[in-house]
Amino acid sequence: MKSRLLALAATAPCALLPLPALAVERAEVVETYADIAEATYGDSLATARDLQMAVKALVAQPSEQTLAAARTAWIAARVPYQQSEAFRFGNPIVDDWEGKVNAWPLDEGLIDYVDPTHGGATEENDLATLNVIATPTFTLSGTEVDATEITPALISGTLHEADGIEANVASGYHAIEFLLWGQDLNGTEAGAGNRPFTDYASGGACTGGNCDRRGAYLLAATDLLVSDLEYMVAQWSEGGAAREAVSADPAAGLQAMLTGMGSLSYGEQAGERMKLGLMLNDPEEEHDCFSDNTHNSHYYDGLGIRNVYLGRYERVDGSRVEGPSLSDLVAEADTGLDEVLRGQLDTTLERLDALRTAAAEGMAYDQMLAPGNKRGEELIMGAVDALVTQTASIERATTALGLAKIEFEGSDSLDDPNAVFQ
Amino acid sequence: MRHPWRTSIAALALLALPFLGSGARAGLPEALSETVLPGHAAFTAATAALNEAARADCRPETLRPSWNAAFDAWMGISHLRLGPAETDGRALAIAFWPDPKGSGARTQARLLEAADPALLEPERFAEVSVAARGLFALERLLYDPALASEPACALTRATAADLARMAVELETDWRESFAPLMLSAGAPGNDRFLTEAEARQALFTQLMTGLEFTADQRLGRPLGTFDRPRPERAEARLSGRSQRNVELSLAALERLALALAPDSPRTREGFERARSQAAALDDPRFEGAADPSRRLRIEILQQRLHALRDQLAAEVGGALGVSVGFNAADGD
Repeated sequence: MKSRLLALAATAPCALLPLPALAVERAEVVETYADIAEATYGDSLATARDLQMAVKALVAQPSEQTLAAARTAWIAARVPYQQSEAFRFGNPIVDDWEGKVNAWPLDEGLIDYVDPTHGGATEENDLATLNVIATPTFTLSGTEVDATEITPALISGTLHEADGIEANVASGYHAIEFLLWGQDLNGTEAGAGNRPFTDYASGGACTGGNCDRRGAYLLAATDLLVSDLEYMVAQWSEGGAAREAVSADPAAGLQAMLTGMGSLSYGEQAGERMKLGLMLNDPEEEHDCFSDNTHNSHYYDGLGIRNVYLGRYERVDGSRVEGPSLSDLVAEADTGLDEVLRGQLDTTLERLDALRTAAAEGMAYDQMLAPGNKRGEELIMGAVDALVTQTASIERATTALGLAKIEFEGSDSLDDPNAVFQ
Repeated sequence: MRHPWRTSIAALALLALPFLGSGARAGLPEALSETVLPGHAAFTAATAALNEAARADCRPETLRPSWNAAFDAWMGISHLRLGPAETDGRALAIAFWPDPKGSGARTQARLLEAADPALLEPERFAEVSVAARGLFALERLLYDPALASEPACALTRATAADLARMAVELETDWRESFAPLMLSAGAPGNDRFLTEAEARQALFTQLMTGLEFTADQRLGRPLGTFDRPRPERAEARLSGRSQRNVELSLAALERLALALAPDSPRTREGFERARSQAAALDDPRFEGAADPSRRLRIEILQQRLHALRDQLAAEVGGALGVSVGFNAADGD
């Protein structure tokens, strides 16, 4: 069916003629996008609930097995969530919320004990060694804080981004990751964080001190993650604000799609998350630095970008959500560009998959960041270059669809340059 | 790691010649020949002079003038974060700021402690973390009492030499490769810039991103919030260049904007006002961010720059027929 539609579109001699009745409708493409967002956040929520169950089992009965099961559940929860990152830029509802669930990097000493040689107070953050798990009451920006009971409200309302510092990450996947794995003290050598299950043990078996408070923190942070994801699923469900925002004006919806793809590809993933870490040779500059799961996080980010373009998402249960796609639309406007972009998205995934292969063969992402690791540098820069390359095509797709937003004079601030100061 | 555009450059450079002077690309050749290329040549000269000075005498007090001259030259081009500036992470290595985790100082302390001459050999030093190289690494060596001591001489020299090397490479890439590539936009074989509009958009994006950086980082970081101002986060605070960098960046952005679109009276006026407001701050380190009355003047300048951004989008963007593209500052 789809190929026939495309063939018809291709016969239209030029853009001045009305599009054939069977042409891909922009509104349908945006609907597919919202459906994929709903399914991706829905899967993120379902896997976070699995994580919640596993965490409860760990805290109730700490053992090697329950800790391993919780770690496995965390890694599984990252699969759909990372794919959802393609929805972040371009949708203010997502971008304003994202810091609650996926903020990174963090001064983890805010939450729990840290190795004195890894982390500690920094020039910019007095709270980098607060260790709230060991400190039931403390002063924050001049105010006495009662943290005797660790609740989701304490984490989200008081601790998260405390003192206005972004590195004070108290909630979300990475806070939970730290509580499950602990600090990775291996630098750019092999090995991830190695927190013992006895950090959650009761009585004399407890290691690391304050095991009951650590368990309470982990439970509260996981509850908070679940409720934050519930909120985002609702935003994309029928009648939800995020769905409405993109559906109300399909052109704006398409722009949100392309902005999300391009900003995640270039500034965020290629730049902030990959190239910067390499240029700093800093093993802390990896997205999942406690669990050494960064190769997967990067891969699923890349997959999420392709999902948006192809209008296709494979759910955690193996079923598919798909429909009329951005790719169909771009192909109508410029077949060659669509082919090039699809090829580039595939290349990016191959290069990101090469990171996963290397990790499976024993070279974790933080080892790739080591100074002088030429193979690691090649692997990372191969993916960075592919992401940068696809960004140019995403920009061209914006132009091909007539979505480039050229600003013209006429706004208040322009007609009266002093208006903004009044 | 080299970018693919390096390979087909020679041929494209020749192709570019017949296009020179074509009205369809109004602004682009002027921007390159009047601001981008001379700006890079000046940076090469200033960093070469700094390197010479460091070899002759590495004492902080004697090196400070040539370091400041090099930083002044960098401010003329610091907003150009594409192509040659991205290769090998050069822009990051030349000026790594902000550095909220203090990575640069930490790595430099390790290098000083190791006192290993082999690590300071040019090839090895080029592999050192970008946070511990470039202008801000030198600033700590020249102005931070904790680092500005006699044993730091070798590190100062290695850092100055590395900076001069990067400046030469950056300028050479612009002159021989990237500027011709922009000028041959749309020519067969140029797969980086498929149309002239793409090349114009690339420079326009640098202009807009540069202005945002000055407003949101150079002013925004020390401002923090009213309840929690952060003057200690001002750029180049050790050397007292925070305000100067804002003024120089505005001057450089103005030159680029007016080279791209000379007939832009509002842009011209907007930059003039912003520059005079910046000059009138009289607050070299933005310590006034923590003083309610002086803080207001920094906030007003920041608002002025946000308004100027809208003016540029309309007037310069309109003249060029382009909007802002994706850029390295996307993301968080």
